[in-house]
Amino acid sequence: MADNREITIKVNGKDMTTYVETRLSLGDVLREHFHLTGTHLGCEHGVCGACTVVVDGEPIRSCLMLGVQAHGKEVTTVEGLSKGEDLHPIQEAFWKNHGLQCGYCTPGFLTTLFSFLENNSDPTEREIREAISGNICRCTGYQNIVNAALDAAKVMKGS
Amino acid sequence: MRPFEFIKPDSEASAIELLGKLSPNVRILAGGTDYLVDLKHTADVPKTVMDISRLPELKGIDEVDDGLRIGAGVTHTEIMQNPLIKKYAPAMIHAAHTIGAVQTRNLGTIGGNLVTCVPSMDSGPTLVALDAEVNIVGKDGTRRISLTDLFVGPRKTSLKSNELLTEIIIPKRSLGKPANFYKFGLRKGQALALVNAASSLWIKGGCFKDLRISIGAVAPVVIRCLKAEKYLEGKKIDEKLVKEAGNIAVTEAKPIDDFRASQSYRNDLIAVLVTRTINAAIDLADKD
Ligand SMILES: Cc1cc2nc3c(=O)[nH]c(=O)nc-3n(C[C@H](O)[C@H](O)[C@H](O)COP(=O)(O)OP(=O)(O)OC[C@H]3O[C@@H](n4cnc5c(N)ncnc54)[C@H](O)[C@@H]3O)c2cc1C
Ligand code: FES
Ligand code: FES
Repeated sequence: MADNREITIKVNGKDMTTYVETRLSLGDVLREHFHLTGTHLGCEHGVCGACTVVVDGEPIRSCLMLGVQAHGKEVTTVEGLSKGEDLHPIQEAFWKNHGLQCGYCTPGFLTTLFSFLENNSDPTEREIREAISGNICRCTGYQNIVNAALDAAKVMKGS
Repeated sequence: MRPFEFIKPDSEASAIELLGKLSPNVRILAGGTDYLVDLKHTADVPKTVMDISRLPELKGIDEVDDGLRIGAGVTHTEIMQNPLIKKYAPAMIHAAHTIGAVQTRNLGTIGGNLVTCVPSMDSGPTLVALDAEVNIVGKDGTRRISLTDLFVGPRKTSLKSNELLTEIIIPKRSLGKPANFYKFGLRKGQALALVNAASSLWIKGGCFKDLRISIGAVAPVVIRCLKAEKYLEGKKIDEKLVKEAGNIAVTEAKPIDDFRASQSYRNDLIAVLVTRTINAAIDLADKD
C-alpha cells in the first residue's frame, strides 16, 4: 500500500514542502520534486558518492536516506554553493585545475569538499584524499581534484 | 523499492509498544546504510518501516555504574569524535574509522552494524575483545546478553522481531584496557575486510592477563579465539609465543574461498593480524 506524506525540508536556505511517497530517497525527492537536478544519482547503493548532499552540516548519501527522514532538516545541495553567478571558491578551483571531465561525479565531490573545507582550513594532501575516499571518479584520475581542493583551501583560508 | 508504511516514534517506549503491536510485519530503520540497500533489492518489503534514527534514548555515550554505555543509535562519526571513547576504548575509534567513507559513517550506527551481523562487520572484533554486552528491550522488559550471544549466523542475530537493541555496555573491567584493531581489505577506502582482528590484554608481572582475541570475516560470525587466548594466558611475554598464538587462531576459523581471496590467503592473514594486534596491545600496556 502506498503511503504518502507531506514533508518540509530547508533546501539551500529555503523551506520547501512537498507530498512524497515514503519509499522515495532524498536524492529522488531533490531531483524529481524540487527539480534540483544538480544532485546526481549513480550507483544508488551508497558506494559512488555522486549523490552526496550536506544534511545538518554533515555530508551524507542522499540515495541512502529516505525523503521522509529528511523532514525538518537542513539540506545543502550543489546548487546552494554559488551565489548567483559567483562560483564558490571550490567550484572556481575545479574549473581552474580541470578537476572535472564528464562531470557526473562533480556535484558529489563539491558538496563533500565544501563540508570538509568548512571544518579544515589547512588540510594536507593526505587529509584531502581521505575526505574524498567515498567519492568515485572514472575520468580524472583524482590528481586534479586534489589540486583543486588544495587551491580552494588556500582561497577559503584567505577570505 | 516497493511501497511501505513509514512510522517514526518519538520515544523508546513508544517504539517498543509499536514493535509489540506490529511485529512481525515491521522492520527497524536506523541509519539505513545497510537496510535501505537491502530494500532496493528485495520484494520482501515489510508492511511498516519504523525509523528509530532520532530516538533520544538511543543516543549518547556515558559513563555509568557498570562501565561505558554507548547508545545503539550512535553513529560511527560520533564514536570517532567522542572523548570518553578516546579515554577508555580508543581502539574503537580506529575500528570506526575503517567503516565505509565519511558519508556512510555520518549515517551508519553502531547498533545497525551489530544487528546486520555480517561476518566482516568492523565494530565487532574490538567490542568482543572488550567483553562488551548489549541491552535488548522488548515488551516484556530488558535483557542483558554478552555481545557474542547476539551473533547467531551470517545476517542472523538472537533479537526477536519485537525487540530493540538499545545500548552497548563496555564493562568497567575493560575500560582503558590496552587493545588494538586491525582491518585488512583490498583497498584503503570503502573495502570489506578480508580479515579483521582485535586483541586486548593486561600485563601482570610480565605475563599475559585476561587476554582476548577476536577475529571477523573468517567464520559465520565474529568469533573469539579461545584456544589462542588460553595458550598465552599467564605466560611470560615472548614474541615466539605470540606468533604461535597466531597459528593457533587459524585453526579456530573457517574462512571462505571466494573471488576476493583464497582460503589459504585468508588463513595467512589471520595469523599475521592476530600477532600484530597482540603485539600492538603489548606496546600500549604498562609493564610492571
Ligand atoms: C558504501 C558502504 C560501505 C560500507 N562499509 C562498511 C565497512 O567498511 N565496514 C562495516 O562494518 N560496514 C560497512 N558498511 C555497512 C553499514 O554502513 C554499517 O553496517 C552500518 O553501521 C549500519 O548501520 P545503520 O544505522 O545504517 O543500519 P540500518 O541499515 O538502519 O539497519 C541495519 C539492520 O539493523 C537493524 N537495526 C538497526 N538498528 C537497530 C536497533 N537499535 N535495534 C534492532 N535492530 C536494529 C535494522 O532493522 C536492519 O536490519 C558499509 C555500507 C555502505 C553502503
Ligand atoms: S548514488 Fe548514492 S552513493 Fe552512488
Ligand atoms: S569527471 Fe567523469 S566521473 Fe568524474
